[in-house]
Amino acid sequence: MQEDLNVRGVVFDIERSAVHNGPGIRTTVFLKGCPLACVWCHNPESRSVDPELLWSPERCAGCMQCQDACAQGVHQFVEQRHLLERRRCIACGCCVSVCYAGALELAGRSMTVNDVLVEVMRDEPFYRRSSGGLTLSGGEPAAQFDFARALFREAGRRQLHTALDTSGYCSWECLDGLSPYTDLFLFDLKQMDGARHRALTGVSNERILDNLRRLDTTGREIWIRVPLIPTQNDDDANFQAIGRLVSTLKHVTRVEILPYHRLGESKYARLGAECRLAGLEPPSRDLAESRRVLLLEYDVPQVVLRR
Amino acid sequence: MDYDDQGQILPPDGMCEVIEMVGGSGVKVRQAILKEYRPVSNHSSGGFFGPRACGENFERLLAVHPTYVEPANSMCGVYMVNFLSYRQPAWNPDFDFSHLHEEQERYGIDHGIGGVQHFCPDLTIGLKLGWGGLREKVNRHRRVNPHAGEFYDGLEAVIRGVQAWIGRHALESQRIAGAEPDGPWHDNLQQMADICDRLVTEPPATFREACQWLVFFQAVAKMYNGSGEWGQLDELLRPFYERDSARGLLSDEEAIFHIACLLLSETAYIQLGGPDAEGRDLKNPVSFLILEAIHRLKIPANIAVRVGDDFDPRLFRRGIEILLEDKMGFPKFLGDKPVNDGFVRNGYSLELARQRIYAGCHWLAIPGREYGMNDLIKIELARILDYSLREMMADAAAVRGVDDLWERFVRHMHRAVDVVAAGIDHHLRHMHQVFPELVLDLFCHGPVEKGLDASHGGVEFYNIGVDGASLASVADSFAAIEQRIEKERRLSWDQLLDLLDRDWAGGEGERARLMMRNIPRYGKGGSRADEWALRISRSFTQLVREKRTPDGFLMIPGLFSWAKVIDFGRTLGATPNGRRAGQPLSHGPNPEPGFNAGRPGTPTQLIHAVAAVQPGYGNPASLQLDLDPGLASDREGAETIEALLRTYFDLGGTLVNINVLDRATILEAFEDPARHPDLIVRVTGFSAYFASLSQELREYVVERIV
Repeated sequence: MQEDLNVRGVVFDIERSAVHNGPGIRTTVFLKGCPLACVWCHNPESRSVDPELLWSPERCAGCMQCQDACAQGVHQFVEQRHLLERRRCIACGCCVSVCYAGALELAGRSMTVNDVLVEVMRDEPFYRRSSGGLTLSGGEPAAQFDFARALFREAGRRQLHTALDTSGYCSWECLDGLSPYTDLFLFDLKQMDGARHRALTGVSNERILDNLRRLDTTGREIWIRVPLIPTQNDDDANFQAIGRLVSTLKHVTRVEILPYHRLGESKYARLGAECRLAGLEPPSRDLAESRRVLLLEYDVPQVVLRR
Repeated sequence: MDYDDQGQILPPDGMCEVIEMVGGSGVKVRQAILKEYRPVSNHSSGGFFGPRACGENFERLLAVHPTYVEPANSMCGVYMVNFLSYRQPAWNPDFDFSHLHEEQERYGIDHGIGGVQHFCPDLTIGLKLGWGGLREKVNRHRRVNPHAGEFYDGLEAVIRGVQAWIGRHALESQRIAGAEPDGPWHDNLQQMADICDRLVTEPPATFREACQWLVFFQAVAKMYNGSGEWGQLDELLRPFYERDSARGLLSDEEAIFHIACLLLSETAYIQLGGPDAEGRDLKNPVSFLILEAIHRLKIPANIAVRVGDDFDPRLFRRGIEILLEDKMGFPKFLGDKPVNDGFVRNGYSLELARQRIYAGCHWLAIPGREYGMNDLIKIELARILDYSLREMMADAAAVRGVDDLWERFVRHMHRAVDVVAAGIDHHLRHMHQVFPELVLDLFCHGPVEKGLDASHGGVEFYNIGVDGASLASVADSFAAIEQRIEKERRLSWDQLLDLLDRDWAGGEGERARLMMRNIPRYGKGGSRADEWALRISRSFTQLVREKRTPDGFLMIPGLFSWAKVIDFGRTLGATPNGRRAGQPLSHGPNPEPGFNAGRPGTPTQLIHAVAAVQPGYGNPASLQLDLDPGLASDREGAETIEALLRTYFDLGGTLVNINVLDRATILEAFEDPARHPDLIVRVTGFSAYFASLSQELREYVVERIV
């Protein structure tokens, strides 16, 4: 037990009062590191497993304290303009601690299972009243397998309901190793066409689909989650293929459609990265509803459209 | 605030003029008064005092107060002016309390001396007796208590005035009916005339009559001194509903229409559901009809659903559905067990606690049996902190530090409570000779029987509410000082004082301000500021609770600031939590907006914070929850909110006000109120049209939400 509590992972966010990542009121713990590179990713700070510096220039008060605090020379002020030399950054967090304006943040910090559970257990009374619990998301949580397993094992000891939000892109051994401690899998299906999947996410979907079929044989409850990205995966053929696959699975109790939103765009800027879908509008209500109706033509359980 | 904030109907043009004055809750208000009416003074100050003068002047006001009859409305009668507007001066200068002024100002005390109403009548008394029966009752007891003749003169004058006013509504309805061609409006007016005619003397016999009786009562109570409580309205109307329904005289649609007309007349405070003395659920079909009526009306309302695990969950669920669908900030919800458990801690029985119902912004009262001065008395904790800090800095012998500051803060808070207690006694000794509660006295158990005003021993229980204000501002200040000055030594005490005096001026000042603001604040959970908030609340509670007033009255602690966070803040300099001079202070027990490091605070964080700092003696410290519609939009939204609130009550939370608001909408409305004339928000304890709020209150709501 003590061993599990001391396992360390890299966490980039802990979201309390989460109501869209599994049943009831939950706390979602976001782990850093993801083997996929989806073009629509709204958590770009989750891709690298290492801590990264986020910068919101509109909040910068121009006090130049970061310059003094940084031994690497990342922060430079040229003609009162704040410039970042990101290549030099070692994500030590020294500048963040003196940025009272909140313009600098560190995405990703090393935490033990115990640290995380202290946060998660704060809302334990809410989980009981709402049949909620703990959701582990990312990134791809299976990418930090040891931490994920230790956290869920400890959560189980505290009678917490656990949900794993996964891309399915990991070894079968990872999923199999987590499933005894996972009450619910939130399993993403993005694109059924193999070539397109590779183009959009950087990896093949073969392993994902294979893992899903195998997971279904374990008897664990599964919710399928489909991000709806206009022009990327919103075509009939994709949703028909998803419907066909789900109708062959026994333990899927719900399919959720998650419409694309633009909240991630500003994060790319804060990370100094390029958003490849910049300017893409979220799907219309009609489009989203039509995808829901399309899925209902297949033998699938309830289909829920998230907003 | 003004008559728009109250949704008041003004007298016809030409009859009224507008004046500015300090209203019943202690804030400056704009009022309309009738030009043709002037009260008769009985005092060299020019004012009028005592029961007879107040009763007779009120009777004269009623005699010239316009009637209000609408052909399409099943209820008639609204108040158009406030009697309080004519009371100049409001306090009789013979009962001087200038010896308290200095400390009242020093500690930012709203002393409540001269405050009116803010307790709950038992309207079953009136529904049973009618105005004629009340008059007989007054005369019967006048003979038993001949020494209280002046008091009874006042009561009787009020009744005479009301009877005449209702009588004029009968005539007016008759007159308009005569001018209407035959049809539904004519019939409605004819019925209205008959009903008014009966209600002059008789108690109501039907559902519609009961509603009309309540409209007249409420108009008169509001006109007299701003009182606005119907209390357990579902239970008040239930016998009439059952009787009429059983006889086939009333359909649910008709009942909803009458209730809607009742609610349209006034935003009086209402509790739905909740226990009787034995703990049985009072919920009945009328509870749902009242919710349905306000759902269809979509106007501001002050309705609380009392929630407990043993009560019918359908009423709770229906309330949440309406909250989500209408997005108008009502109903609010009250936790039965936490308020009962708290009130019992004062030494009262559980039976009594159950009968103490929601009757005002954030307060409860036992109808007709308890006098409370609720919401009238406040101690501004941020001002006490400021005074303590300056005292420490001026004391050459002081060992400057958080410990010393805290010790001074507690000492001055203690003194502030003593000053409040002295004020309470002063009020309770003299108020009956200044401005007695002549309307509410009629609907209490005791005043008529004993010949004593409710403010002077007329009722059974005296539990005086004393609220602490600006908890979060002070908790964050202590935590910021502790971290930045004492632990990290990034700032000296002298520098802090200098920064406060200069209101964080200049680049360095702004940087220091951000530094003091940018600490883990109250609400975050597990922070030092959370611990400070708890410590302050506990100390305040203990000081209010540890003894009675010198005259022996019980004080009950609460945390509520009403809309006064703006007034309080306006005259207070910068505070160590990074707040600029003149800015509003924190509201009630709530964390400051933006406490969560720039991200919106989550509901579970807010619930934990506010549930933890409850004083816990039956007077609520209400949580203000502003929910994003995203949380509420899904099918599971209602279930989620139900679980959130039930957990809040499990954790000891008492009352909760909820806004379901779209940030974009509120920002649009802020920039151009005309674009969203129908937008209703819960401001603090009350709901109002956003567009009708003063600029300051709008800013306050926007700051909290966005």
